[in-house]
Amino acid sequence: MWLGIWLAVAGLVLGVLLGLNIPLVLPQVYAKYLSVAALAALDSVFGGIRAAMEDQFDNTVFISGFFSNALLAAVLAFIGERLGIDLYLAAVVAFGVRLFQNLAIIRRHLFKKIK
Amino acid sequence: MKLPAKLPAYLSLALVAVVLGILIAFQFRVTRHIEQGVPAGRAQELALELRQLEKDKSKLKAEASDLNLKLDRATRGQAEAEKALEDELAKARLLAGLVPVTGPGIEVTLDNPPQQPDGKGPASLYTIRDEDLLRVINELRGAGAEALSINGQRIVAQTEIRWAAPFINVNLTRVVPPYHILAIGEPENLKSALEIPGGLVEYLRDLGVQVSIRPYERLTLPGYTRPMEFRYAKPVLKG
Repeated sequence: MWLGIWLAVAGLVLGVLLGLNIPLVLPQVYAKYLSVAALAALDSVFGGIRAAMEDQFDNTVFISGFFSNALLAAVLAFIGERLGIDLYLAAVVAFGVRLFQNLAIIRRHLFKKIK
Repeated sequence: MKLPAKLPAYLSLALVAVVLGILIAFQFRVTRHIEQGVPAGRAQELALELRQLEKDKSKLKAEASDLNLKLDRATRGQAEAEKALEDELAKARLLAGLVPVTGPGIEVTLDNPPQQPDGKGPASLYTIRDEDLLRVINELRGAGAEALSINGQRIVAQTEIRWAAPFINVNLTRVVPPYHILAIGEPENLKSALEIPGGLVEYLRDLGVQVSIRPYERLTLPGYTRPMEFRYAKPVLKG
C-alpha cells in the first residue's frame, strides 16, 4: 500500500526533474493540449491509487485509461479550437470532478486504515 | 507478502507518475515562457503600429528629400541673384570711374611754351588754361574715350577742371604742367580726332603750346578716390 504511494511520488519527482532538464521548449500553441494532458495524467494517477486501495487495480485498464483520457482531452481541445468553442473545458471539468471524488475516496480509505 | 502480486500495478503507477511529472514540468516552463514573451494580440498590435510607423517614415523621408531639393534650388537661386547683384555693382562702379581701369589708349602731353635757349624768356607768353584742358577732354570724349585722367586725377561726372590761379584744379587737386592726359579708347580714333587739320592740336600749337600724342597698347588709369556722396540729390521713387 504505502510502497505504491511512495513509488508514485518518487516517479513524480523523477518526472519533474526530467522535464526540467530536457532542453526542449514546446511552442506556445501546444500549451493548451499539454495542460489538458497533464490534467488527464493527474486524474489517472489518483484513479490508480484509489483502485489500488480498493484492491480493484487492473494494469491494462489503468494504462489504457491513462492514454485514452489524455488523447481524448487533447482531441477535445483541438476540435474546440477549430470550432471556436473552449471544448477542453469539458475535459477540465470532468477530470477535475473525478479528481476531487477520487481524493475524497482515498481520504476515506486512509482514515479507515488509520482507525 | 502481497507485494509481488501488486508490484506491476505500482510500477505502472510510477511510470504514469513519471509522465505526469514530465508534463507538469513542461507546462511550468511553457507558462513561464509565455509570461516572459509578448502576448499574441499585443504582438499583432505592435506589428501594425510598426507598419504604420514605417509608412510614416518613408513618407517623411520623401518629404525631407523634396524639401532639401527646394532648399537647394532656393540657395542656388540666391547665389545667382547675389552674383547678378555683384556683377551689376561692379559694372556700376566701372561706369562711375571708381575702379582703376586698363586698356589701349593714348597719352596727350601738354606743356607751356618752352624757354628759349638764349634766356629771352618763353617763346610765347601763352600759358595753358583750364579751357584748353576742357577742350581736349571734350574732344577725346567725343572721339569715344571711355576713361580719362589728368596727371593721375580720374575724370568722372563730378570732376571739375577749374582755373584757380596760378594753378588748375582737377578733383580739387592742383595739377601743374606738363599735363599728362590719359585716355582709354580706340587709339587711332582718339589721335586723329585731335590731329585733324584745323583741329585742337593745330590750334594749341599755333599758340605755342607743346603737344605730343603717343598711342599705347596698354594704359592703366587710377580710380576716383574722393568720397562721393549726394547730400541733396535723392532718387525719385517710381510709384
